[in-house]
Amino acid sequence: MYLGTDLLAAWGLNLEFGVSGVANLAYIVVVAAGAYTYAILSLGPDTGNGGFQQYVLGIQLPFFVAVIAAAVVGAVVGVLIGVTGLKRIRQDYQAMVMLVISLMAATVIGADTGFLGGQPGLSLIPNPFSSLSPVTGDWVYVAMVAFACVVGYFVMRRFTGGPMGRALRAMRDDENAAAAMGFSVVKMRLLSQAVGGAFGGVSGALLVAFIGGWSPGAWAYVETLALLTAVIVGGMGNDFGVSLGTFVIAVLLLQGVQFLPQIPSHTGLTEALGWVVLGTLTIAFLVVRPQGVLKERRPIYRFLGRQATAAPDGDGAGSATAPPP
Amino acid sequence: MHLLIESIGFGVASGSVLAMGSVGFTLQFGISNVLNLTYGGLMTLGAFLGLPLLGMGLNIWVTMALCGLMIGVVSVVFNRTLVSPLVRRGMQPFGLVVVTVSAGIVLEYVIVAVTGTSTQSYGNLSGATLHFLGFTLTSAQVVIILVTVGLMAGLHLLLTRTQLGRAMRATSSNRTLARSCGIATSRISDIAWFLSGTLCGMAGIGLAITLESFDFTLGSVFLVPMIAAAVLGGVGQPYGAMVGGLVVGIASQVSAAYWDPSYESVVAFAILVIMLLVRPRGLFGRNSSANKLVA
Repeated sequence: MYLGTDLLAAWGLNLEFGVSGVANLAYIVVVAAGAYTYAILSLGPDTGNGGFQQYVLGIQLPFFVAVIAAAVVGAVVGVLIGVTGLKRIRQDYQAMVMLVISLMAATVIGADTGFLGGQPGLSLIPNPFSSLSPVTGDWVYVAMVAFACVVGYFVMRRFTGGPMGRALRAMRDDENAAAAMGFSVVKMRLLSQAVGGAFGGVSGALLVAFIGGWSPGAWAYVETLALLTAVIVGGMGNDFGVSLGTFVIAVLLLQGVQFLPQIPSHTGLTEALGWVVLGTLTIAFLVVRPQGVLKERRPIYRFLGRQATAAPDGDGAGSATAPPP
Repeated sequence: MHLLIESIGFGVASGSVLAMGSVGFTLQFGISNVLNLTYGGLMTLGAFLGLPLLGMGLNIWVTMALCGLMIGVVSVVFNRTLVSPLVRRGMQPFGLVVVTVSAGIVLEYVIVAVTGTSTQSYGNLSGATLHFLGFTLTSAQVVIILVTVGLMAGLHLLLTRTQLGRAMRATSSNRTLARSCGIATSRISDIAWFLSGTLCGMAGIGLAITLESFDFTLGSVFLVPMIAAAVLGGVGQPYGAMVGGLVVGIASQVSAAYWDPSYESVVAFAILVIMLLVRPRGLFGRNSSANKLVA
């Protein structure tokens, strides 16, 4: 279940970061946007459950409509975040701004209880299969998420493997060269933000419909790092590698630690160590093997002979261009 | 009117902590050209290192100085072991950002693993309340303001009156040229990381004093106004960051007095966004390596 939603999100992030080279440290915000969209579109009127929480819309739409709306909102928020990258500022500066956006979004949403539930968040978000028995309902839900993943993978492969994907990679490796070839860098960057955002939105919606509650604590900026680690460990720009990375990172490391025995005197110790391992792993991979476990496949280079393969492989963290002076 | 003056007073107090932090952040960036987002984590570490020192019965201001020095050393070690080898290998700026963010998270959760997630406090250190010219400040806040003024004056003298400061400014404005003039730029970098870490640790303690209670998210939350202050003044410009810190501090305290206090940091964020859209070089953006941020 978590694997499924994390997979969708990680593919989205891989599209933005691994394939198009947009340094999005605010990715979790689009996931959150999707989750909130689903929540407020499906919660129903706020008198429905004793009126103990307030929210803005008070309408109850069918499940699939709400998920699609989440995808749309995710795409829009993704584009809005991407607009900050339109000013041609340096990659790391842009990443810093994104990090700030992520921190700020959590503060703003948390500060105002009237809008999206504030710090306590929203709860009692309906599950589409609540009419089934809990166990069957869960399995049906897992099956549906698995189906969404299959569809998502297919869509993503078409996108990154096709001409568009090649154009995005070209933009990542050398923006000026791509522009000189006649690609509109701005348009492509926003497009990848939109598609990545839609993936994030769906991921958030599916996640929130399953767990039933959502609050700023669930999308702290460190969650983006978890997805980023999955992308880096698995191999940037390689959808299959990213899937593998997600499985190892998001599932084994972050969900897995919850099943380890808790040490009574130190509650939260295992989770904390999980994050420590995660951060260390990111650094270790960037230092030792920046291309990840599975390298990005670049079939086109085979036709160009040795000279091209000897060229620096611009896997994001590797060096495609000369280091800044 | 009374409310305005009072909130300006608070703004100066929180702005001086902010100025300390953002000057450290921007100084190091200006010289080594690496955005150090571990800064928030280092600041938290400084605040937490203060706890056992205070427990040993040390004076708070001695603790502040000691923590500053310790974080300075940690910062140099961090640069030497992780950042500068990666820079030498030609890692792209974005890779470095991911490395420093990850390192910050590792640091943050190591602190959690040691101390737990509970809220910590130095106890009430604010001392007597002073009234003058309509301002109401605690004596601790006054000392923090004075310490900041002293540090900033010292930094100004260092940058303008000494051989070392001249070398630092030269490295900041053109590293290659500075090196060919015989300046040991990697040593200058180390010194910049040390000064930056020292300011960071002291700002962490100052923040812990003014906030009175803190937890492991202290630094990462404070990173927003610090970056806003640095950007406002022009990233890489120490003088800009001093002014930026004061402006952001006063703006957020005044707005907190008249508006909802929970939106305090939103003001910092708004300043940041406006600056990025209108003038990404900052108010005082001049010829320095930071200008290469904007193509």
